[in-house]
Amino acid sequence: METISYQDVNSHVIDKCREGDNRAQYELYKLYSKAMFNVSMRITNDYSEAEDVLQEAFISAFKNLHTYKAEASFGSWLKKIVVNAAINAIRKRRSELVPMDERTIGDIAEETYEDDSEWKVEKVRKAIMKLPDGYRVVLSLYLLEGFDHAEIGEVLGITESTSKSQYSRAKKKLLDIMKEPQFAA
Amino acid sequence: MKDRLKDFVSEHRDEFDVFEPRPELWQQICQESQAPRKEAKVISIKFGERASFSADFLFMRVAATVVLLLGCGLTLLLMKQNTPGAGAMLAATEQKVITNIAPEIVEVEAYYVSQIEEMKGELSEYDKKVLGLGEQKEIDRELARLDSSYLVLKKQLYTTPNTEEIVEAMVQNLQIRIEVLNRQLEVLQSIKKMERTINAELKENETTNI
Repeated sequence: METISYQDVNSHVIDKCREGDNRAQYELYKLYSKAMFNVSMRITNDYSEAEDVLQEAFISAFKNLHTYKAEASFGSWLKKIVVNAAINAIRKRRSELVPMDERTIGDIAEETYEDDSEWKVEKVRKAIMKLPDGYRVVLSLYLLEGFDHAEIGEVLGITESTSKSQYSRAKKKLLDIMKEPQFAA
Repeated sequence: MKDRLKDFVSEHRDEFDVFEPRPELWQQICQESQAPRKEAKVISIKFGERASFSADFLFMRVAATVVLLLGCGLTLLLMKQNTPGAGAMLAATEQKVITNIAPEIVEVEAYYVSQIEEMKGELSEYDKKVLGLGEQKEIDRELARLDSSYLVLKKQLYTTPNTEEIVEAMVQNLQIRIEVLNRQLEVLQSIKKMERTINAELKENETTNI
């Protein structure tokens, strides 16, 4: 029941945005900017770049609002725009996000001991930011943005299985980082 | 296999969003999205489910202007082709190519054409008054002949390497036309003068007779 009324409010605001209503646009921005900024932050790992991405994404979203059909939620539609803009931004920095030699599916020692008793959000979050670009993007898309491996593959231009193996490597690396002595505190 | 990391993250999902953009960012977005805001209005035409055509107002406005201009241009062009006068050789569409070949001719042509038009205007005033000038048609024919040879020269301008000679001939052609018109004007003026003096004399005679 709650989701329905939420959707209704949204679609009303979106309709107003389509007509170029500035206040409606601000309402949408208020509603989504923080979440979208964090999506952008996790991918770019750079505050000012994340802001540029957010700006670009919102402008493009307002401009292309007429292409948004209510088949998906507005949030996930907007998130796709943000993710694509952010990935384009870091692609400008480096040519390959996932290096060619890591695209083959290797056997990763799956059995890393995951001791969640010592996990804290802040610790995990900081460790994610320490990952190299390729790992960080795949891992945050999968863990935090709710993308499945097929979607990640599509967005990054890699295969689904590469995304899977990349995620395993990233997770292993993340657990290693958290075990580092300076992270123990 | 159970992914405890994924479970942990989804459990604490909200706590991972710790960053916030600067409040000023909205101003920037607002400013930049302001300009194309007018495009938001959309005209869409749907042909069933398969094909749909949509265009925003700005695009439609531009398209309409282009169509209108094209229509006007075409009408003007057709009108010019129908009148065999001296001004007919000015096809504005050719102007661009000519500026590449012989840039000076464009200005020269514009200057002379305006002179010619002016003189023709003056002449037409005289024509309305019947002055009994039989050679009027002959002059028109002469002007038409000059006009067609001018067009030939202009066409040659695109193909011949020696543009200078042709430009010179074109200028000469224009000058001859002015000369012809000038002469005609002079003749008409003198005829009018003569008429006036004759009239004056007649009046004088009448008054003296009384």
